[in-house]
Amino acid sequence: MKHGPVAARPRVGVVKFASCDGCQLTLLDLEDELLSVVEHFDIIDFPEATSARSPGPYDILFVEGSVSEPAHLERIVELRRRSRFLVTIGACATAGGIQALRNWGDHDAFRASVYANPEFIHSLATSTPIAEHVPVDAELRGCPIDPDQLVELLTALNTGRRPQLRDEAVCMECKRRGVVCVMVSGGIPCLGQVTQTGCGAICPRFGRGCYGCFGPRERANAAGLSRHLQLAGDRPREEVGRLFAGFTAYSEPFRSMVTELGGARQAGRESGVEAAPTGGSDARH
Amino acid sequence: MVMASPARGPRARPEGPAFLGRADLQALLDLLREDGRTLIGPTLDAGAIVYDEITGVEDLPRGWADEQGPGRYRIHDRQDDRLFGYVVGPTSWKKWTFPSLVPLTSATRDGHKVGFEPVPLDPPRLAFLGVRACELAALGVQDRVLTAGPFVDPDYAARRANVLVVAVQCTTAATTCFCTSMGTGPEVESGHDLALTELDGGFLVDAGSPAGRAILERLPLRPATAVEQYGAAATVAAVRAGIGDPVPAAGLHDRLLAQLDSPRWLEIAERCILCGNCTLACPTCFCTSTTQATDLSGTTAMMSRTWDSCFSPGFAKVAGGSFRSRHRDRYRQWLTHKFATWWDQFGESGCTGCGRCVTWCPVGIDVREELNAIAPARPPAAETALVEPAAPSPTEFVTAHVTGTKAETGDTVTLTLESDHPALGRGGPGQFAMVELPGFPPLPISISRYLPGGLELTIRGAGAATRALGKLQAKDEIGLRGPLGSSWPLDRAIGRDLVIVTGGIGLAPLRPLIQAIIAERRRYGDVRLYYGARTPADLLYRGELERWKSASIEVALTVDRAGPEWLGPVGVVTNLFDQATWDGSGMVAFVCGPERMMQATVSTLAGRGIPASRIYVTLERHMECGIGLCGHCQMGKYFICRDGPVFSMAQLGDIFGREGI
Amino acid sequence: MQDQASIVASLNSTWFASGLEPETQTRLAELARTYHAEPGQELLREGDPSDLFGVVIRGRIALRTLVPERGEITILTIEPGDVFGWSTVVPPYRSTSTAVAIEPTDAIVFEAAGIRAALRTDCRLAVALYPRIMLAVSRRLNATRHQLLDLFAAEEVRSW
Repeated sequence: MKHGPVAARPRVGVVKFASCDGCQLTLLDLEDELLSVVEHFDIIDFPEATSARSPGPYDILFVEGSVSEPAHLERIVELRRRSRFLVTIGACATAGGIQALRNWGDHDAFRASVYANPEFIHSLATSTPIAEHVPVDAELRGCPIDPDQLVELLTALNTGRRPQLRDEAVCMECKRRGVVCVMVSGGIPCLGQVTQTGCGAICPRFGRGCYGCFGPRERANAAGLSRHLQLAGDRPREEVGRLFAGFTAYSEPFRSMVTELGGARQAGRESGVEAAPTGGSDARH
Repeated sequence: MVMASPARGPRARPEGPAFLGRADLQALLDLLREDGRTLIGPTLDAGAIVYDEITGVEDLPRGWADEQGPGRYRIHDRQDDRLFGYVVGPTSWKKWTFPSLVPLTSATRDGHKVGFEPVPLDPPRLAFLGVRACELAALGVQDRVLTAGPFVDPDYAARRANVLVVAVQCTTAATTCFCTSMGTGPEVESGHDLALTELDGGFLVDAGSPAGRAILERLPLRPATAVEQYGAAATVAAVRAGIGDPVPAAGLHDRLLAQLDSPRWLEIAERCILCGNCTLACPTCFCTSTTQATDLSGTTAMMSRTWDSCFSPGFAKVAGGSFRSRHRDRYRQWLTHKFATWWDQFGESGCTGCGRCVTWCPVGIDVREELNAIAPARPPAAETALVEPAAPSPTEFVTAHVTGTKAETGDTVTLTLESDHPALGRGGPGQFAMVELPGFPPLPISISRYLPGGLELTIRGAGAATRALGKLQAKDEIGLRGPLGSSWPLDRAIGRDLVIVTGGIGLAPLRPLIQAIIAERRRYGDVRLYYGARTPADLLYRGELERWKSASIEVALTVDRAGPEWLGPVGVVTNLFDQATWDGSGMVAFVCGPERMMQATVSTLAGRGIPASRIYVTLERHMECGIGLCGHCQMGKYFICRDGPVFSMAQLGDIFGREGI
Repeated sequence: MQDQASIVASLNSTWFASGLEPETQTRLAELARTYHAEPGQELLREGDPSDLFGVVIRGRIALRTLVPERGEITILTIEPGDVFGWSTVVPPYRSTSTAVAIEPTDAIVFEAAGIRAALRTDCRLAVALYPRIMLAVSRRLNATRHQLLDLFAAEEVRSW
């Protein structure tokens, strides 16, 4: 017997903006739960999985990818209008993705250095998360999202409860699983302390430091961590800034760290592209 | 529990200590495994010495030593064959006595009916090899918290009873150790079944229990020589001398609690990342939350208990927000609980000086340094519940079914519930029940009326779970645990005049009080009820208010705002009596409402002469278990679920309304 | 000219004006007169020049304000003992809300010109009254703050 707030068999859509598709694939990868999902939800539009098409309206719309080209600006507004619940999935949709590193660079210079006729390449100077354009009802973070969190969200939508998505540090997950802290025992810089958990502490489990793909958690004291990494590890500012310049670089407070410490510029210079310190024009304005 | 005694040293053993040759250690391990126990002991993993399942001596970290400092842990070669030449690592024994994920109860929901099945206890038989003195003390501390009552954690008790402890005397110390200051080591004194002190040729062996003595009899032992005994004692004494006394602990409780406003908390907040590592590495921290794993339809749920931390964001969250949102308050909560209010709650220190929180803090915050900077040089009698509550265990709930529902206001519903469990209908006014609908987190709800065979709950739909409760219909079932907590002390009001001040849903826990007064009206003097709500439509129990008036209870109502049809007072509830003519010096007051409203009310009532010992308030905090085992509802030294929710202002003093306590 | 003694007695029954020195009481009584309002009668109108300053002895006055599309909302009631119309003695002397009696109400009122002049020239009267006016206004302010906090509001939960 159902006690959920949405329709008896909610109409679900899955759409994509600028992204790699990995988050949508997580839905398809729910091997054990897929049949149950399809039983409870009516998937009306999911290009990755079915040729059935529907312009909506959607009870639940999963949005993957960031807003990266001019056509996206109108499309997301239109999709928002046609959706009851809009859920962003993945680092691109929730934080702008790795492609948001261009927000610190000179977009026109990038285009000109790669393409012979840059005027044919329609892209915005910035890659921004969906929430900067339309109100978002729920978000699943990660790069890619975690399948257990996806199932939890679907269950919550179905039963009417608040989804159990814990906003705590990856450290809690490492300790619950008995993973030895890579920072304390190996001196490896790890963003887990300021990053929201959900991934099952997968990187520290394999002996590498967390690079923040689930994005900053509530009250993330990134400034405190960055000070410690510089002082205790005797690291130059830009090296610490680079640590924050990853898949969720554009989310605060990682964004401020990158801007202050100069991580993105360093990344740009290393890839061989000449980038001016100020941002380029943004077609939105 | 290991008592604090600074002048500990080697003791003469009347029957003489025994010696086990190095080559015979495997015999001990084999014996333990033959007894059907899984061996847990130190072993190497990912650059650290952790506790894990082992089978033989070859799994032990032979010739390894550790080097620890704030935020730093490294192991290196000792250049010898010592098997226990290090101290504690990142894991503590609570990984087995109090695992990070324990399924508690499987719950089902089918139509109207609900069902709760506690997961059967199946504790493994274990032997812990290599338990240090500080860790023995930590096991004792958790024993006290989780099994000394008034409510017992059955899973912990069962696991703990199935552990055989082989302790190991520390022959070295890390720079992060401070067991000496906490009175828990380095000497192993009690709590062990067997204790080993490692020397070059083998081990000095000592039994601490009948089980230990029985094992000794099956081992190839010989009496220890005087040289061996002296060597062992000298080694331990050297460890003690090496550690010194990093944290002067005498009077620390009072010193620390006097510094709740120290500017140092703010300075720590700039460094502390609120990552929670310290609490999860700590062997005595016991705070947990429940998670609900359900299938997509939510009709079957497995409720499990998982480690939580007072540092995590949702820890102190209730419908109106979080009681402890500021950075500095969370660190302060942890430090003051561990070193001060734990004494008030459990009669001992919560810290055993193992140093894990110092080593495993990724940014190297050192509690010893902080304690010495902030505070440089009694358990409250557990409130006994009026009746033994139904389902007094974190895994159980009793079922009750809805026999009636009444929409009191636009967002508030009163459910009438009946149950087979007599305890539910026989609680005191002001008590609450933990209410569980499978698939939703358990919630504390005040009992708004007692009936023969049941009770009433008045529930305001403030979130997903309360809204789901509000939608229940006749014959629907829910799970309950209770009645829990302290109740309004009506006996203190006999022969006196009473003032009852409340706002919004706050009238719900006061309604059984008023009904009890009416039942014996002549025992009490003048009774004045001052009740405020947001708008006239939000007033609860409107029909009953008239009946109360006719039972000679003076009822004054006010609202925050109204349309022109409301002819009663409009304004805050304190306006109803702040200029009243009555003299409060002989009165008793009962107050319930949003905490901000209660603060203003208490201050006004005090201004009218009512002494703090006769002003009672009821508090609300985030609760997961309702019985003092999950740690969430703590405020200073009190567990709101167990010592409250009703308190007198004299009990609370100036922690009432204090940010972040 | 109404009976001074009975006016003094009425003032003494209110928290606002009780316990004053006899000279001050007499002075106040000279400036005062009794006032009666039937339910529905308007004493002050929001925005209009404020010309009545008084203390309620019996009854109840509702302070209302007009919210477009929502109509008149009662934001506070003046109970016996409390003052209304304090904006009569505080510039710019305009009423901050509409005051309507909602029960048969008896009050002691002071005419604007008289009380303003008296407070300007009679220092002893000013020293006695202004603290009490401040207390009345601060009580009002405190109450308003609590109402602003909207402590009884249900939690707004729309998204996660």
